[in-house]
Amino acid sequence: MEEKFVVPQKFKLLTYALIAIGGISLLLGFFLDSQRAWANYLLNNFYFVSLAIGAAFFIAIQYVAQAGWSAAFKRVPEAMVSYLPVAGILFLLLFFGMHSLYHWTHEDALQTDALLQHKSPYLNTPFFFARVIFFFGAWILLTSALRKFSVKEDLEGGLNYFYKSEWYSRVLIFVLALTFSLFAVDAIMSLEPHWFSTLFAGKLFIAAVLHASTVIALIVIILHNRGHFEMLNQSHLHDFTRYIFMASIVWGYFNFAEFMLIWYANIPEETFFFVDRWHGAWKFLFYFNIVVNWAIPFVVLMPRMTSRSKPVMVPVIILLMIGQYTELYYIIWPATVHAAKFGWMEIGTFLGFAGLFSLVVANALTKASLVPKNHPYMAESVAHHF
Amino acid sequence: MNKKYFTGVFHDEESLVKAFGRLREAGIKPEEVYTPYPIHEILDGMGNKTRITHAAFFYGLFAVIGLLSFMYYVSVIDWPLVFGGKPFNAFPSFIVVTIVATILIITLATLFTFSVRAKIFPGKQAEIVHPRATDDKFVMLFSDTIGKEKEEIVVHIIQEHGEVEK
Repeated sequence: MEEKFVVPQKFKLLTYALIAIGGISLLLGFFLDSQRAWANYLLNNFYFVSLAIGAAFFIAIQYVAQAGWSAAFKRVPEAMVSYLPVAGILFLLLFFGMHSLYHWTHEDALQTDALLQHKSPYLNTPFFFARVIFFFGAWILLTSALRKFSVKEDLEGGLNYFYKSEWYSRVLIFVLALTFSLFAVDAIMSLEPHWFSTLFAGKLFIAAVLHASTVIALIVIILHNRGHFEMLNQSHLHDFTRYIFMASIVWGYFNFAEFMLIWYANIPEETFFFVDRWHGAWKFLFYFNIVVNWAIPFVVLMPRMTSRSKPVMVPVIILLMIGQYTELYYIIWPATVHAAKFGWMEIGTFLGFAGLFSLVVANALTKASLVPKNHPYMAESVAHHF
Repeated sequence: MNKKYFTGVFHDEESLVKAFGRLREAGIKPEEVYTPYPIHEILDGMGNKTRITHAAFFYGLFAVIGLLSFMYYVSVIDWPLVFGGKPFNAFPSFIVVTIVATILIITLATLFTFSVRAKIFPGKQAEIVHPRATDDKFVMLFSDTIGKEKEEIVVHIIQEHGEVEK
């Protein structure tokens, strides 16, 4: 079952070009409008970190549930997780942009604002970065252990590594639930330090799972079209769709529950978040997010026929990738840029990060056999049908 | 139980699927197959497509429309009341009721649809084709009307994999 993946030269050149575009647009951005450039930087960083985290969660779920169908494709989420160290370094570079993004880093604001003073033992720059280092350290430690077991299993076989991976996956799920929630609060919610919502972190977590499921499916489909993953059949596609469908419904539920409770309770401390976003482009994005992230996947992926066909899945996947961007845009832009600006800087930065992510993932895919060789559920995965 | 049926009884999935495959090759389809759990080959081979999922979808659609228009009628047209400073048409708070009531309506409506289609009602005498068809045995049901010639083929195939009971 040894299957080698080689990164095509054209693809490599394309990713280099994209990274160059991203670098140039960020650099230009820093000179022209540094706040907007940093907002772009934060958004794209978070976008791709949540992809990697969602992929790590995906692997962990497969082990804990002892899922057989996905065994053949587990190198794809593993490759996506390998973006985490890069993301960690990029996140540390945010140090230079803290002042442009986070209101609570301003000394003068801290002096007059009782709430910020109250929160300052937690929300201060040194502790913020200590947490970032801790979160990324924990994620990288656990996921690289899972990766190591997976590669060693290829060489040695046996059930030993499977049991070890299962145990680490249990730990990883607990660690992710706690750390990613805190990370989402730190990185995104603290942009508006006066606002709080308990569902916010959960919503971003399930958005990460949704988003990662779509990208895993997309990568598998692309590789299949290039001649890899010969065992991929409609049942596998249906199972990928089920993840997307499930996560999309949970996202819709969380998003609605968050809004509805704040709308109903009508407490000014909470409502201002939505009041600020209840006009112009933000109001459009509010509905757009619901339609793209929940309504369209819910209706389109419901029938059996559409949920197992590539021509339907790929457009929905691309739509959901846009949906994750607009969701983060909807949260971040009103808090930082204060205007619905969208132009070359946004597109360029996104392309740059996408290029970097693709390059890291493609390189990670070449490092081991594309299909695991000694995974105990390999036979079940190949024969999967329902 | 009507006398004009005969059954093939199998002890495991494998022999059932083998016998089923050979019967289908011979162009014969059992009236019905009873298995302790769903088996893909049998489901595909029998070719019975259920339409109950479509029924459930439309029940859900009508339930949503009906519930939302009912709540709109009650709280906007018939008896408008301001409470909590909310608009008459407090749409987001209607959604919760709609979700829960829709689930109830879909469940009950599909249950009744299924009962009507399968002719099941409370107090009905159970039609048990074989004493162990509801237990761990795999049972195929054949009608006598398939004809003497075919019956011989069926009996021949079944006896290689299981037992025939008349």
